[in-house]
Amino acid sequence: MDRRSFVIGTAATTAALATGQAAAQEAYPSHAVTIVNAFPPGGINDIVTRPLASTMEPILKQPVVVETKAGAAGQVGAQVVASAKPDGYTLLSHNTGISGYEEVDKLFGRPVKTKRSDFVTLARLVADPVLLLVNADLPYKTLKEFIDAAKKPDSTLVFSSGGLYGATHLPLAYLEKATGPLKLRHLPTNGGGPAITAILGNNAQVTTQSVSATLSHIKSGKLRALAAFSAERSKFVPDVPTLKELGFDVEYYLWVGIFAPKATPAPIVTTLRSAIKQAANSDAFKTVLANAGQELAYLDGPEFQKFWDEDGKRSDEAVISIGKQ
Amino acid sequence: MKLRADHIAGAAFVLFGMGIFALSGDLPTGQLSMPGAGFLPKIVAGLTVLFGGLLVLRASESPLLAEVDWSGGMHALLVTSIGAIAIFFYTQLGFIVTMSAMMIALLLIIERQNPIRAAAYSLGIVLLTYASFVYGLKTPLPEFSF
Amino acid sequence: MESTLLSLAHGFAVAFQPDNLWYAFLGCLVGTLVGVLPGIGPLSGISILLPVTFGLNATQAVIMLAGIYYGSQYGGSTTSILMRIPGEASSVMTCIDGNAMARKGRAGAALCIAAVGSWVAGTFGVIMLTIVAPPLAIIALKFGPPEYTALLILGLIFLAYMSSTSLVRTLLMACIGILLGMIGIDNMTGHFRYAFDLPELGDGIGIVPVAVGLFGLGEILSTPSHKVVGEVIAPKFRELLPNRQEWREATWPIARGTVLGFIIGIIPGSAHIISSFLSYALEKKLSKHPEEFGNGAVAGVAGPESANNSASTGAFVPMLALGIPTGPITAVLIGALMVHGVNAGPQLVTEHPDVFWGFVASMYVGNLMLLLLNLPLVGLFVSVLRIPYAYLYPLIIMFCIVGVYEVSHSIVDVWIMLIMGLLGYALRKFSFDPAPLVLGLVIAPLFEQSLRQSLIMSNGNYLIFFSRPISLALIAICVILLTLSAISFVMKKKDWRQTLAEAEAGESQQ
Repeated sequence: MDRRSFVIGTAATTAALATGQAAAQEAYPSHAVTIVNAFPPGGINDIVTRPLASTMEPILKQPVVVETKAGAAGQVGAQVVASAKPDGYTLLSHNTGISGYEEVDKLFGRPVKTKRSDFVTLARLVADPVLLLVNADLPYKTLKEFIDAAKKPDSTLVFSSGGLYGATHLPLAYLEKATGPLKLRHLPTNGGGPAITAILGNNAQVTTQSVSATLSHIKSGKLRALAAFSAERSKFVPDVPTLKELGFDVEYYLWVGIFAPKATPAPIVTTLRSAIKQAANSDAFKTVLANAGQELAYLDGPEFQKFWDEDGKRSDEAVISIGKQ
Repeated sequence: MKLRADHIAGAAFVLFGMGIFALSGDLPTGQLSMPGAGFLPKIVAGLTVLFGGLLVLRASESPLLAEVDWSGGMHALLVTSIGAIAIFFYTQLGFIVTMSAMMIALLLIIERQNPIRAAAYSLGIVLLTYASFVYGLKTPLPEFSF
Repeated sequence: MESTLLSLAHGFAVAFQPDNLWYAFLGCLVGTLVGVLPGIGPLSGISILLPVTFGLNATQAVIMLAGIYYGSQYGGSTTSILMRIPGEASSVMTCIDGNAMARKGRAGAALCIAAVGSWVAGTFGVIMLTIVAPPLAIIALKFGPPEYTALLILGLIFLAYMSSTSLVRTLLMACIGILLGMIGIDNMTGHFRYAFDLPELGDGIGIVPVAVGLFGLGEILSTPSHKVVGEVIAPKFRELLPNRQEWREATWPIARGTVLGFIIGIIPGSAHIISSFLSYALEKKLSKHPEEFGNGAVAGVAGPESANNSASTGAFVPMLALGIPTGPITAVLIGALMVHGVNAGPQLVTEHPDVFWGFVASMYVGNLMLLLLNLPLVGLFVSVLRIPYAYLYPLIIMFCIVGVYEVSHSIVDVWIMLIMGLLGYALRKFSFDPAPLVLGLVIAPLFEQSLRQSLIMSNGNYLIFFSRPISLALIAICVILLTLSAISFVMKKKDWRQTLAEAEAGESQQ
């Protein structure tokens, strides 16, 4: 009785730890683990998460089920997992977009539904470099030519994104922070696919998209990549210079990570981290990634957390600089 | 003037349209060359009020309210209530429990069928559906969980 | 052309390899199951079964996944016809007349016509895909926001032909649908509209919960079992096939639906949803007996079903020729190809001729296979109607709930379905027709977005709609249609809708 009241009386973190130890004793996992995918099928999260789940199954010796809970640009899935029981049986597959929700909600004066601190990072799986692309019919061959044109007051260039404040809209804000304001009309669409279709049909002229989503159009000569937002050149498009090389201190990736709700007990987090690490580094998983034009950019939980803290801060600034439209 | 069905229906639409207006307060209207988030909703809400009003004016063409057949109302109310209870527990108690309970309830309370037949039928159908989803198509259905 | 035939022959050689045939069959079988079970559409069906194909080579995987895709299109009409549950947005129109036919004891005929219509549409689509894919795809790319806006204006005009109720009632229903379509985050500004801060409403109200509620549940709520006692709608086996009269009535709607659907299908974006609605409205406009629509008109099943299937084949054109997804489903297929190391796109034909032509040939084979698979199943499905109504409707309610939930695993959607069921019940009591409401809901978000996108492109100048050839042509069609109705109105030539509205008014006054 004393011990029980002692546990209740201690700080929340200790309580979480104590229950964690109790739970670990009954051998986690004892039943199927669900990974909630916050994005609809066809997107990068679906392509990455399903093979990860099937490679995790033999490691955890339990079924790993992928459940799609798409909606509101990923916010629905994030909220579901943030409020799920932190027992290690409900995980979240999300991407760069998870960082922005808090600031967007604040911008519109809405109650904040999910914060970055609602989650524990388990692993980052891929970090797809983002490219600045123009329709190949446009005369601009270099970033400088494009920026000069976009700064002219009579510019009629249209920038297409997969959605307002989304992962393919924020890079423009990053770029504008470095180059000064560009005169581009923003055309939001319903996702990466439609944004690329818009630029292929010359209904828009500029976009920022990941390498994997646009590689085949770059190869066929329909789109021209002017610069990469990554720290190093992508091996898929080695002749595209990075923004850093061109003198703009900008870095942006479309990454995919796996998260758990924040109060998940530490031993379970450790189990999951090592299972994901093993699955992610397996040959089967790497082959699927390579076929999809992706590279494993694995970061373990703590390193991922560090990366995410910085990435999230930049994203907050970008949302604020875009402001209400 | 006798109350007719379209008096009620039209008034409901007028109220609904006005309600939309009341809810659209903070949505920017923008202008014709650059419509804002509240532009189309406000136009359509206005049209709803207009057409609803038109319906009230032409209500003499519609049947008397008293003549509308509400005899199935009890059935609708019972089905909706049983359905609502099942939906309320659906994600916690899982597919098998809630759906077989709902079907048995419908068959016993509303249709007054033989309990054994009702239970056998409901469980059979629910288990067959469960197997098709979970084993045939590897699609998870809500499970019993606390 | 000759080289096309040669390549196609090579494709058939690939498709007829025993194991490829097997995977096509497996895909069709699973696809039929996906289509018949409510909720899991082709989208989740494909992505769930994707890992199963990891062990196969690219050709086998594509053949099987494509089989799931068009198999589910065939199966999609089953629950619409038998239970009035539209499994997806494109089956909404089928469920109106298809279910009415089933009530008249013609469920078998309706299912057969849907299957044959789907086969004709699918095969026509594949032939077009074989011959004209690349040039068509380039035209499809020209279809930007202004063209979309013009197409949807056409859709809005067709709205007036959707229903047999009076024009005011139709327009009211459409307004409610449009307002429901406004719910959710505004894509252009980020505002939450009428969503009461529920993230589940962020993407707006789904079409499936609304349609299932209004049609499936609404029907059950207003049909207490004592009213159907003794009413047997299960047909005898020899009555399963359509009779000669029904075939005759189905022929032209199938042909028109096929062509219309294919044209709409190649447009990138979500336009293919409206293909079945447009086809329905078109058939009703052309029909000599428009009053039959809603009461089991054969054309009301044949047209929309063919249009729907043809549109889903048309969607492959931009996907295979250009590597651009026309909708979420083709996006999943492109993803599936990528996982197998095949990049859909302009180089697909040259880099992976086996995959491309094997895939095209397997679509011919698969469509035939589906027809052969579906016709015998008609007998099985129809026996569902032998269940007495008191036992049948609890089953239908269960299917409504699980079907709506499975679409996006959202309990909020199920609540919406229940509310829409009550609304459907009330609308029925006040003699409103919910079909225009659903079309309004489908069109509104697309229309609003493309209109505003167009204005962003032109910086607020409406001339953009008249300066682009395709949108100009579509606007011209709209103007002609409106002028024609205006003329007939001025000439006091009553068209059938007015006659009907007056008959309605006359009846109610008695």
